Amino acid sequence: MVDIRLNATINGRKVSRDAKPHLRLLDFLRDDLNLTGNKEGCGAGECGTCSVFVDGVLMKSCLMPVAKAQGAQIDTIESLAKSGELSVLQKAFHKAGASQCGYCIPGMVMAATAALRANPFADREEIKERLGGNICRCTGYQKIFDAVELARDVQNGRLPATALLETDTADGEVIGKSVRRIDAPSKVSGRLKYAGDMTMPGMLYVQVLRSPHAHARIVSIDTSAALAMEGVESVITSADVPGKDGFGVFVHDQPIMARDKVRYVGEAIAAVAAEDALTAKRAVAAIKVVYERLVPVFDPDEAMRVGAAVVHDYAPDNITKHIPIRVGDVEAGFAESDLVIEENYSTQAIEHAYLEPEAGLAYVDHDDVVTVVSPSQNITHHRHMLARIIARPISKVRFIMSPVGGGFGGKEDMIYQGMLALLAMKTMRPVRLVYTREESIISTAKRHPSRTTLRMGVMRDGRIRALAMRMVCDGGAYGLSTEGVMRKAAILAAGPYNIPNVRIDTFGIYTNNTPSGAFRSFGALQTQFATESHLDIIAERLGLDPFEIRRINAMRDGATTHTKQKLGSVSLMRALDAAEQASGWEAGAPAVRGPTRGDLAHDDVRPSVTLGARFGADDTQEAAE
Amino acid sequence: MLICDEYITPASLAEAFAAMETHRGHYRVVAGCTDTLPWAREGRAGDVEIPVLIDVTKIPELNEREVGDHRVRLGAATPIQRFLDDAALGCAMPAMPRCAVWFADDQIRAQATLGGNVVNASPAADATPCLEAHDAVVELSSAKGKRSMALRDFITGPGKTQLADGELVTGFECDAFPGYGGSFEKVGHRRSLVISVVCLAVMVKLDREGRTIDDTRLAIAGIRPVPRRLREIEELLRGKKLSGALLEEAADMPLDLVQSRTRQDYRRDVVRGFLVRGLIAAAKRAGASPDALTQELEAAYG
Ligand SMILES: Cc1cc2nc3c(=O)[nH]c(=O)nc-3n(C[C@H](O)[C@H](O)[C@H](O)COP(=O)(O)OP(=O)(O)OC[C@H]3O[C@@H](n4cnc5c(N)ncnc54)[C@H](O)[C@@H]3O)c2cc1C
Ligand code: FES
Ligand code: FES
Repeated sequence: MVDIRLNATINGRKVSRDAKPHLRLLDFLRDDLNLTGNKEGCGAGECGTCSVFVDGVLMKSCLMPVAKAQGAQIDTIESLAKSGELSVLQKAFHKAGASQCGYCIPGMVMAATAALRANPFADREEIKERLGGNICRCTGYQKIFDAVELARDVQNGRLPATALLETDTADGEVIGKSVRRIDAPSKVSGRLKYAGDMTMPGMLYVQVLRSPHAHARIVSIDTSAALAMEGVESVITSADVPGKDGFGVFVHDQPIMARDKVRYVGEAIAAVAAEDALTAKRAVAAIKVVYERLVPVFDPDEAMRVGAAVVHDYAPDNITKHIPIRVGDVEAGFAESDLVIEENYSTQAIEHAYLEPEAGLAYVDHDDVVTVVSPSQNITHHRHMLARIIARPISKVRFIMSPVGGGFGGKEDMIYQGMLALLAMKTMRPVRLVYTREESIISTAKRHPSRTTLRMGVMRDGRIRALAMRMVCDGGAYGLSTEGVMRKAAILAAGPYNIPNVRIDTFGIYTNNTPSGAFRSFGALQTQFATESHLDIIAERLGLDPFEIRRINAMRDGATTHTKQKLGSVSLMRALDAAEQASGWEAGAPAVRGPTRGDLAHDDVRPSVTLGARFGADDTQEAAE
Repeated sequence: MLICDEYITPASLAEAFAAMETHRGHYRVVAGCTDTLPWAREGRAGDVEIPVLIDVTKIPELNEREVGDHRVRLGAATPIQRFLDDAALGCAMPAMPRCAVWFADDQIRAQATLGGNVVNASPAADATPCLEAHDAVVELSSAKGKRSMALRDFITGPGKTQLADGELVTGFECDAFPGYGGSFEKVGHRRSLVISVVCLAVMVKLDREGRTIDDTRLAIAGIRPVPRRLREIEELLRGKKLSGALLEEAADMPLDLVQSRTRQDYRRDVVRGFLVRGLIAAAKRAGASPDALTQELEAAYG
């Protein structure tokens, strides 16, 4: 390798250093210079967490070989609040509550800085356009745009600088007041360290070998060539697990690395710890696995049939969990209904796409405490599971929750922490694993895809008499949160409606797909999508306004739910009123909606997608210019 | 991950050809790297080891820019952003600023080059229909000498060009169309950072009164292996009086444009809408007389 002697000015300081020729500017900044404020959310130019100024022009440093920085002036997020004093934009982000998990925020602040430099008077549309290369999964962007507008107005003197300060909350009252988040300064400045930003002296880099097959028996794993490589410190497989292997939120059916067989594409099989990431990658490529392909099953309905491939021996019917609910007499309810309607609904797998890919750091401390630092959403449970897996007393296992760069349920599973702990124990050195975006997508849980058959019986006046629902969810290769998701899905399936006769069955099914797990709403989305869509269809058939049919059936204060829970107060009626008003709802049955759609011509309805705000409204001038 | 042992940044064409000769069979040319780096990732090429990368962006010839009344010459390393920053260039190539504003995002545009877009030869490459509408000629150089050919001959299929071993694209020569109104229509899954499902470049020249179409240039991409000029529509429109009916007639010409394997019906609908909308926008920017186009038409396609 021919190193590059890089001479550049970075955050105002001259830097002259050797760099490996294959590094991207982002690697050089983060790994060689420890400037970890800018992040790597995707490594493919899609997210903007890596945005830095190169000679004053904002660029994505994950798309730039370090050699391109030769002689350049580079400014990272760390340059904006160098002496600790936040820039106007950073203060505005703080004031507007524009940072949530914070992972996108350094890049957003950089993009906003570039936008206001390009046009100090940019309007909201132009701001949106100029921030188009940066993704945020938490905020919904509105507060970010608010922040940029606030900063613009302060910079232009349209608002006083005091607009950036905390609004006075009399007598320390905070409820109902807009207060600034105390963790925002660390996020807008890039100073907050996520797990992937942390390093320790002597740290090793971890890479994981993953299964290319959906269902296969592992005949043999040969790690000898990998172990023989210079710079490789350890290679582990499931054979190295000292205790009782298995994790999961409900059933502990998933080994920390595939044991005897693989059940989905992307499942971890072995992990390597080496002196640098490239060596670890090369070692992973040198591991030889012999597979015997097994017939896979990808469709949950097929998986339920007799004779289907079995994913886990303990569940020969491939059922992870079945939750039944029975109330009243459903058949009698249908018999007395004026109208009975049946429909099928389906929802797809969805990736959480938190901006922070999974990352973790593990070490064994001076008192032999195995310590794992990671953005886990469930550290106490992980700690108990890990103690059993590594056969150590609970007092010798510690989990530290690093800042979570977005989770949405996707970081509840102990997908990689077990491998880290084991490698730290084997090497007695700190080890760090940082997922790529692709790894995060291929190996971690998704929202359960679902197929639902829903039958509802109603009276002509809109009262629901009976509901029968059967939902089959693809739980994928391992249990993770499936049981809980099926429970919640069933409990909420009939909605906040008074229905005397109810029959609900939700099934979580094992297949050879990527495991499904927790995801915002935890099962409610799948069943409610069916129930609420069904109400709209019925409203149309009965000539009722969709709001009306919901009001007719709404549970009120003191109601008892289908699972016998007594409700003190029910806010449904208020929620319906508010939604009706805010949406500019045009009253009437869905079928009679006219050409003057109040709900579409509403202030808050976004116009169709277009770009070009920066050209200004007066298009016709252009040709003449 | 793209792994190399050496990264060379030649300062002249001669240095570049020398490096290409020395490392023959072991190098890859890069410019902005915005196609190459994402390509070398899991799910696409995976980890790729290429011994030598040769970065052509610092070669002076590849950064040249000449804007004349009739011809424009642009070096291959021209970043897409230049079409937004350089008013004279935007005037000579009036669809290009619109194309640029939809191209990737503000940041990638500063790196992404015109040459890379063409050599990468994706059916969805946004700059290619614009260049095609300008009858672009590709200039090629190697240690042995120079040659040139029309862009439509150079791109032979998805990812395929006539670039020969040891050759570089040095630049593009295009017809200049000052005084034309330009538009660029593009649709993908979202607004920024999106690959075109369909994209269309349109340029329109009107007479002094803004009532008669003197000339139009149209080219479409995303729906077939290579970009296609819409000469049939250009012919139909030339010399005609500008009207909504005429534009709709043009959009309804029975051209079997959509050759994509997926979502054919959707793409056909889009193409029709884009043709009308693109022509309206370009005509307005060319100074269309306010009464030439009806408000209803604009509302329907705006
Ligand atoms: C997030 C993202 C969004 C994108 N959005 C768009 C978009 O909206 N529209 C669009 O069209 N594209 C888009 N792209 C693709 C890419 O940015 C463009 O195709 C760009 O123009 C490629 O240019 P480059 O200089 O970066 O290419 P490179 O990656 O440097 O090169 C691409 C190819 O061209 C070859 N090459 C480059 N220059 C020369 C030369 N002078 N002579 C010979 N061979 C050469 C290289 O060897 C390589 O094979 C996007 C990419 C990303 C990552
Ligand atoms: S855009 Fe560079 S890491 Fe996502
Ligand atoms: S705050 Fe933007 S991704 Fe979390």
